[in-house]
Amino acid sequence: MSRHAAVREARPARPSTGDAALRIDPSVCDGVGICAHLAADLITVDSWGYPIVRAEPLRSGSERRQAEAAVAACPRKALRITG
Amino acid sequence: MSVHLRLVETPAVATATGLLDGAAVLSRRGTESLSGVAPQDLDAHRAVFGVRRSAAGDAAEALLAAIDEVHLTGRGGGHFPTAVKWRSVLAHGLGATVVVNGAEGEPGSAKDAVLLQTRPHLVLDGLVAAMEAMGSTDGVVWLHDGAWASARSISRALAERATAGLADPPIRVVLAPDRYLSGEATGIIRTLEGGPTLPRFVEDPARPWSEGARSVLVNNAETMARVGLLVTGSAATYRPTSLLTVVSAGHRVVLEVGPATTLGEVVDRAWSSPDGRPPQALLLGGYGGSWVSWDVARELHVDADELRRHGLSVGAGLVGPLPATACGLEESARLVRYLAGQSARQCGPCVFGLVAVADLASDLSAGRLTPSGRRRLGRFMGEISGRGACRHPDGALRMLASALTVFGDDVHRHRRGRTCDAPTFAVLPVPGES
Repeated sequence: MSRHAAVREARPARPSTGDAALRIDPSVCDGVGICAHLAADLITVDSWGYPIVRAEPLRSGSERRQAEAAVAACPRKALRITG
Repeated sequence: MSVHLRLVETPAVATATGLLDGAAVLSRRGTESLSGVAPQDLDAHRAVFGVRRSAAGDAAEALLAAIDEVHLTGRGGGHFPTAVKWRSVLAHGLGATVVVNGAEGEPGSAKDAVLLQTRPHLVLDGLVAAMEAMGSTDGVVWLHDGAWASARSISRALAERATAGLADPPIRVVLAPDRYLSGEATGIIRTLEGGPTLPRFVEDPARPWSEGARSVLVNNAETMARVGLLVTGSAATYRPTSLLTVVSAGHRVVLEVGPATTLGEVVDRAWSSPDGRPPQALLLGGYGGSWVSWDVARELHVDADELRRHGLSVGAGLVGPLPATACGLEESARLVRYLAGQSARQCGPCVFGLVAVADLASDLSAGRLTPSGRRRLGRFMGEISGRGACRHPDGALRMLASALTVFGDDVHRHRRGRTCDAPTFAVLPVPGES
């Protein structure tokens, strides 16, 4: 499956709810950086190319879709949605 | 056996008993040279502290209440309440592995080594009580490789207890790599689960072990010795002291002080000034702690609440006075360099960020930090903060940030291309340096 297919598949059927938030395990992340392109509203990159993930909960369906796209695309499986 | 029985009849010690009741003196590095506090064998331990009460079954709740009553906390700097930690492990059922963490990765600190070598039975009484309360059949004494004196002391004490017929549950000694981060709790748990001794990202701090794995309780050696005080004495006889390690140029002193003692008195009692003058500042807590100017520190009491109000913590108990003739920026740059090298090399912000910060801190101390370097340093410190799986980078940044404030005048001078007139010498010990 291509990454784009993975991203499409990851699209949610439901909008954001409650305190769901995007979380990263920094010890697994290798700074590949795809996530920052797919979830630009949630992720910026630091001076070394590693993602800085916004701590606040997901606030909209758009943010939820971005988060799920980033989770699906991460080759290191460092991202997940909690809550 | 007759000795054992006679001692059982000795009434419990009624007067308040501290952990050490004295000061231990050690060389600058290593703990083999310990003197000043006599090691206790089982008889001596019982003569001073009395005989341990069981914490099994219903007694567990009484022990938890006593731990609550004396506000016993962890020694990681966050002062996490020990009773809360125990209850959160118990919430996952009985049968946890119980670890007494004596790895003491802080190069300057020796309080845990002093406890393990002079009060092994107090630490083990605490461990056994914790195991009973947890319904545990797996006790671990976690030491770092090379801590031979501590390992010998614990092994001897375990043999002594077996000979005396104590019905302790099984306890094993596990040696960790001799690194700064070997005492990090998630790395301990990861090792016990068969993984490497490296910190791990934990989603839920109340459940630091893996899904489906056996629950684990990790307490510092000092915390466990304090549990030992509670199961030999009581909450009424417990004294809320702190164990500190004061680092001088040629030696270290481990001493126990109460909350009415000021850091000024600690330094007067335990520090040898190289020039007869008071220090200009103290590093408090550990290498990931905070610098405090002497004017502030001398009046501060060694009291968790008072220190917290100043943004400080006793943490690992390190007190590192900086002589008036030393340069706080050089010292801090050395320590940041050391801490960067001690990264577990797992998280990008730590692996790349701390090294970049250490380079800029070295530039600053050498008087060659450019205006753009100054901006980068600020940006990097902001970017790295809070982004490691463990708190290692945060500690390094906390120490450096406090240095930039406390040694603000020096920062000014160094920025203008001039360094201090201070001679360059290492104040705090770093492994690998002579």
